[in-house]
Amino acid sequence: MTEEAAGNVYRVQDEVSLLRASLTGETEAWGEIISRYKDAVFGLCLGFLRNRADAEDITHDAFIRAYVNLRRYNLEKRFSTWLFTIAANLCRNRLRYRRNHPVAELPPQIRGGTDPATIVARDDRHADVREALTKLPYGYRAPLVLRFYNDLPYREIADILSIPEGTVKTRIHRGKAMLKELMEEERDPS
Amino acid sequence: MSPNSIDDILRDALRQEAAETAGGLARLEERIVVELGERRPRLRVSDWLRQLLAPTRGGRIGQLSVVGATATICLLLGVFIANQAGLTNTSPGIRLTPTLAEDGNQEVLFVLPALDASDVSVVGNFNSWEPTALEDDDNDGIWTASIPLSPGRYEYAFVIDGRWWGQDPLADEYVQSFGEYSSVRYVGGGDGA
Repeated sequence: MTEEAAGNVYRVQDEVSLLRASLTGETEAWGEIISRYKDAVFGLCLGFLRNRADAEDITHDAFIRAYVNLRRYNLEKRFSTWLFTIAANLCRNRLRYRRNHPVAELPPQIRGGTDPATIVARDDRHADVREALTKLPYGYRAPLVLRFYNDLPYREIADILSIPEGTVKTRIHRGKAMLKELMEEERDPS
Repeated sequence: MSPNSIDDILRDALRQEAAETAGGLARLEERIVVELGERRPRLRVSDWLRQLLAPTRGGRIGQLSVVGATATICLLLGVFIANQAGLTNTSPGIRLTPTLAEDGNQEVLFVLPALDASDVSVVGNFNSWEPTALEDDDNDGIWTASIPLSPGRYEYAFVIDGRWWGQDPLADEYVQSFGEYSSVRYVGGGDGA
């Protein structure tokens, strides 16, 4: 076994140990789990919700909810899938709430400035795609975020969103096409 | 725009956005640990009861058998009196009675009186919190399941007709998570499951 492989095995075993310790009430072990996953959960929430304050709230709530329900998690299954499912469900609930209680979404990025031309162009593209993502329906936005931010395979995305794997593939394909159209409209409104 | 460029732009844009706005996550783990600690008090029964019932090392097996037998008699007597008095809503109670098995594991008998229940199961860290059904073959309202357990610390709770019930009066200790209790017993003198 290579050193890298041994490291991976240790990492997996260590996560299970942390979860077992968390199950017995050791909140410090849960703190370590949070450290490992908070960026992934926050990025997912930010991508889904398009609002920083809501994303921070839901990230916090997701880890609380997961801890409270940890006894219902099957240790033999992938922990990240279970955690992301909780976060995705909380995001969906928050979006429903936001229909009746709207707030400003992420503002478009400030473009240009004194940056070199290449950086300006890249930042413009990033701003365009973020803006387009915000306009995309949730059903298309969520699979795109899980695929391109969280780097998840189709099967796992399907589990998290409770939709068939084929639907995930279709929505990602169609979602990217919609993003391109929205970005082109943004550049050339006529 | 090339076929893959939208993939790359989307990936980079999402990661950059998350990195730029992740300031609010600073010390999130510390805040949550403190919050959980404040919400989740750990309760312990009196020392004498824990000493009497917790481990089953050596000579305590006999001690525990006596307690188990006495508890069973009291339990059945209680059920009999309740039936005579027409009390159909008897409060649940359980007896966790470890006995040594040939393979060194302990056959732990989970006993729960639930006269009006139609479905009773036990969940715990020994079965990954997946329900193990208790049986009541003679319809006397006493539900039982025998589960072989190696020495260790076990958290468990019962689910009675879908309702969580986690306060075994004979538990060594309890853990509580947001209003839901689970019981803890030490089997075979172990200190970790």
